[in-house]
Formats: sequence, structure tokens, C-alpha cells
Amino acid sequence: MPSKYHDMVELDSNEYIFGEEGGRGTPASVFFKKIANMSQKSSKKSKPKPEPSESQQITVGAGRSHAEHISAISDAQNVKKKGKKKQTSSERKQEHKSSSGHAHHLANMAEHNDSSPYFDLDDDWDTNFESTIIPKANARSISSSNTALSKPEPSEIAAKAERDELNSLVSRILKFQTALSAPTVDIDQLRNLSWSGVPPDLRPRTWMHLLGYLPSTAERREKTLAKKRLEYFNSIEQEFGNEGSMNQSMWHQIAIDVPRTNPHIKLYSFESTRRSLERILYLWSVRHPASGYVQGINDLLTPFFQTFLTQYVGTKKVEDLDPQQLTKEELDFVEADSYWCLSKLLDGIQDNYIHAQPGIHRQVQKLEKLMTKVNSELIAHFKSENVEFMQFSFRWMNCLLMREVPMTCAIRIWDTYLSEGPQKFSDFHVYVCAAFLQNWAKDLVNMEFQDLIIFLQSPPTQDWTEKDIELILSQAFMYQSVFKDSMKQ
Amino acid sequence: MSAPRIAQFKLVLLGESAVGKSSLLLRFARGVYEDNRESTIGAAFLAQNVRLEPDLVVRFEIWDTAGQERYKALAPMYYRNANAALVVFDLLSQESLARAQSWVRELRVQADDGIIIALVGNKLDLLNQLKAESPNSSGKIGISEDAKSYAAEAGLLYYECSAKTGENIEAVFKGVAEKMPINEYFSSQEEEQQHAVDLGASSSGCAC
Repeated sequence: MPSKYHDMVELDSNEYIFGEEGGRGTPASVFFKKIANMSQKSSKKSKPKPEPSESQQITVGAGRSHAEHISAISDAQNVKKKGKKKQTSSERKQEHKSSSGHAHHLANMAEHNDSSPYFDLDDDWDTNFESTIIPKANARSISSSNTALSKPEPSEIAAKAERDELNSLVSRILKFQTALSAPTVDIDQLRNLSWSGVPPDLRPRTWMHLLGYLPSTAERREKTLAKKRLEYFNSIEQEFGNEGSMNQSMWHQIAIDVPRTNPHIKLYSFESTRRSLERILYLWSVRHPASGYVQGINDLLTPFFQTFLTQYVGTKKVEDLDPQQLTKEELDFVEADSYWCLSKLLDGIQDNYIHAQPGIHRQVQKLEKLMTKVNSELIAHFKSENVEFMQFSFRWMNCLLMREVPMTCAIRIWDTYLSEGPQKFSDFHVYVCAAFLQNWAKDLVNMEFQDLIIFLQSPPTQDWTEKDIELILSQAFMYQSVFKDSMKQ
Repeated sequence: MSAPRIAQFKLVLLGESAVGKSSLLLRFARGVYEDNRESTIGAAFLAQNVRLEPDLVVRFEIWDTAGQERYKALAPMYYRNANAALVVFDLLSQESLARAQSWVRELRVQADDGIIIALVGNKLDLLNQLKAESPNSSGKIGISEDAKSYAAEAGLLYYECSAKTGENIEAVFKGVAEKMPINEYFSSQEEEQQHAVDLGASSSGCAC
């Protein structure tokens, strides 16, 4: 039997995987660099090597809601109890298309582990957290001792990866919960955790902390929130109270843009959503006259609005929600919090929206410079086809890639950006754009001008999930580590 | 039957925000209309053919620019070297016509001398609907008359159309296509080819 100490080592390896200040003390940077170095192909192959399975673990952070994690664990438990050799849920099938039959092996593995105590998943699940993890870590140790005796089936390794993934998910949520419930939230720790994705249920609070909207000291929070929300509604009253004094051209631009914001998501078709967005955007614009409202800022507001709504309806339902189903107070809170968080976000990138948009021009130039280092062949091809970076990447900068990827991916990008901090994320964004462009490089080098531009203004990301975007983020991190110094010159 | 000859030209759309530039293009290129299309950021590109004769096609490379004033600084990049410009306005909005006029003035100064400019009034369906609702109204509905006389004065092509119903959309692009310097296009192509042959650098296969 493996000792308790051994179990702890196994747990530490999870921490190591997530690149936090884990037991082995391996810095996150080294880990991400390693991940980034693995080619996309090798991690997509279903052949379960240890490294790719690590890369899968790194990407599971934010994919599922709290409830989903629990149901996934519950599924695993059911397999174990019944020992049935079949998939246990459609969700599981979807998530693991490549590792067919792994549930069967999960069941087999679980048999090694029959002594693990059953715990009630519905009731106070995290109090029994240790007992979930440790028996599974035991199974993992058993499987490694099997390895010593005979070569394990590849599918056994897949099962192990599956179990590790579940453990990681639970472990991750627990870490966030611990961090968030501390009397004084350690923002640096929260940043480190958030870089690789925030669990959806904890996203609203985490984002508010990362943006410095929510005070880190627990006792100050309620007071500050109440003050900020009141301040917002007083301002609204002030700006909208007298229609005659409104900035009509600004209001006109906002009023025509709000109905065409995220038209593919039902949430944005409801009148109450539109009224909230109008108020937020108008107030922000009159309070920031140097830029005023610029098209695209409407896009940037929506991840906040949508994410903060999930506090009341859950992640899955939010995109179809008519916010009128919330109480007035709840909706007011969502609106005020969204306003303040949008303000915090835009504070770091105001240059993007003032006259002549110098911030965006700078970023586009930086992207071009960076791409000459990343892929000079592609740049040469762009030159020969007369493709200019401004023609396709202006929007990437103006809307932070929100127009290029599905909303779930945009939100996942924001976990990382907000963890970088409002002043630093726009620098990192250029590296993300480079990774995004490089992702299609093989196709692009064979295209002519027209096809190139058409492709780049609507890249095929419709089916992208968080895992796809996490590969881009990891790649971006690698570019940043490699090219940061030379980009400064 | 031989493949049609293709003459390619660059066309740019300019005009105030939300007058329907992108919708006009969507109708032209794909024959559909969507309420509440996302605003254009920077500019959007597409290529679309207009068949003028059985064996002659005009291919437009089209840049659809963003309408908001803040993006104005980007426009020269897109109208530079353009052979044609559609300056779009909303038939019910005086401001949008004023904005269109300022675009025309800018094009006259900054764009190529030979550029063909069409003034295009969109949302004809709304105008017609308003007219139908008040048939006896003595007051002026819409700004057609102002726009028409301005276009005549300034020597612009003039069209009224509806991206929503599709009315007159084809006519806009066909009308502009007919004004394109097609003969010059082909003769300059020939010159280029001749030049290439003279240099002995033409290794590519014959197109005929």
C-alpha cells in the first residue's frame, strides 16, 4: 500500500501541473513554455502519452461549471459502483471523443480501488474533498506499481488521465474557493490561478477581484459594493434626468449599435438587456470624453454583463435569458458592476479609442514586427500578395478578438487577460494575436490576396472550445517569453 | 464555349454609420438580408462578380468601411486606388446625406481622378412605406429630391434601393460596372503580358 506521504506527492504533482506555487516549486512559466512547445498535433493524437495528458489537464480548468464537475464525478462513481462497461453520460462522450472506451477502463481501474469510501456528492461535497482525492491518488499509485510489473494498456493510462482530470478539476475549484474566502484575498495568488482559467461559478467574483473592483479585504467589500452601485445609479439619474442636456450624437451612435450587439445570442435581443447596455455605454462615454463611445466598446461590455448575470441564473442558461426574470435589484447590481468593470478594463486601453486610435496602430505594428520573427515566410507571402496587417488585424485589436471567436472562448481569454492586469494585458494580446495568426499559417501561405483577406476576417472558429483557445494562449505565452526582449528594441 | 473575360476593379463603400452599407453588400453578394447585423469594425472585404455580357464579367474587390466618425482616418487606405465608390446614405436621414456629401468632397480631392462615384440612397422600403401611410401628405417625405439634385449637380451616378427587399440592388452594381474602364483594363493587361514575353520571363501557362 502506498503511504500517506506518497499520496501527498501525487497531489503535489497536480499542483505542479497547474503551475502554481506547488510542492515541487516549478514556476508556472516553465510549465507553460513546455506546454507551448508541444505541437498541437501531438497533443491532439489520442495515443495517450504522459505529456499530452498533462496538456489536457492544463486545459480543463474552466470548461465546466461547479454542478457539471459534480455530475462528472458522480458519473465516475456510478461506473465504479455498477461496474458497467459503457459511457455514462452524453457529456462525457462529447468531451472525450478521442479516448473511446475509457469509461470501461475507468471501471476496471475503479475495481482496484473498491475500498474507497462513498461520499455524498450532493451534500456539502467539499468537506469530503480529501477523501475523494486520496483514494484516487491511491489508484494512481497502484497503476504505477502495475507499470513496474507489466506494461499498462494504453487505455489504462487514458483512464488514469481521466481520473487525474477529475481530481484536478475538483482541486482547482477548491483552490479558488479557498483563495476567495480568505479574509484578505491574495490577489497575486488569484492571478496565478486565473491565468489558466476560472471555474465558471467563481468567475464573477474572481473577475471583480482581478480588476480591483472588489476590495481584497472581506470586511470592506459589502460597503464598497454598496457605495459603487449607488454612485452608478446617481450618475445615471444625473445623465439621463434631463434629456435636453444629453449628448445626442453619442446617444444616437449607442442607440443604433446596441441592437446589433451579439445578434446571434438571444440574451441581447431582449429589451431589458438593451436598456442596460445603453445606460452603461452612454455613462461610460460621457465620463470619458477623450474617446467617447467607439464601436467595439459595446462588444467589450458583453462578457461582463453576461458573466455577472450567471450569479443568478447559472452559466448554461444565461445566453437565452430574458434579464427581466431577475429581480430589479439583481439586474441593477449586474448593470452597475458591469459598468465599473468595463471602466477598469478600458482604463488600460484608452489609447485604442481616442482620436486616430494610436493604441491600435501601435499594436498592429507590433504584431507585424512580431510575426516577422515568428514566421518570416508568411510575412514574405503577405508582402507579395499586398496584404496589409491593418486590413485584417485592426478589428482583432479593437475588439480583443471577440469578433473572431465564440463567446465562451472570448470569456476564457478574459480569464487570462484580467489575470495579467489592466495595464499589461494589451501587451499580451499582441502575442495572442500572433499565435492566432500562426495557427492558420499553413493554409495562409497558399492563398492569394482575396482568399487571404476573406479567410482572416472570418477564420473558421465556430466550433472552437476553451481547449482551442487555451492552446493559443499557451503558444502566446511562449512567444512572449522568447521574443519579449527583442520586441523592446 | 470559352470562359468569360474577367476585368477586375476595386470598389469602396463609404457612408454614415447604420445607413446599410454592409446590408447592401450582403444582399448583393448573397441575396439575403439580416436585421441587426453587427457593426463593421475597421473594414470588411469581399469579392463579387457582375456579368455584363455573356463573355464579359466585371469582378469587384469590395472594401466595406466602418461608418463611425472615429474610423474616418482609416478610409484613405481603402479608397486609395479605388476605381469606384458607393457613397451610401439613408433616404430618411438628412444627416446621412450631409455626411455623404462630405465623403464625395473628400474623394474628389484625395482619391484617383478617374474614380466613379455613385450616390446610393438605401432604405427605399421604409420611404415607400411612409409614403403609403400618408398618401395625401403635402409635406416632404424623405430626402430623395435633395439627393437627386445634388447628384446631378456633382455629376454622380444616383440610385435608390433597399437592401431589405433587394429592390434595385443589382442595378447599382451593374450601373457602376458599366462605367468601369474595361478596355483600358484589358489593354494594360495585354501590355503587361507583352512586357513579360519581351523579357522572356513569362514561364506561366497561356490563359487561353
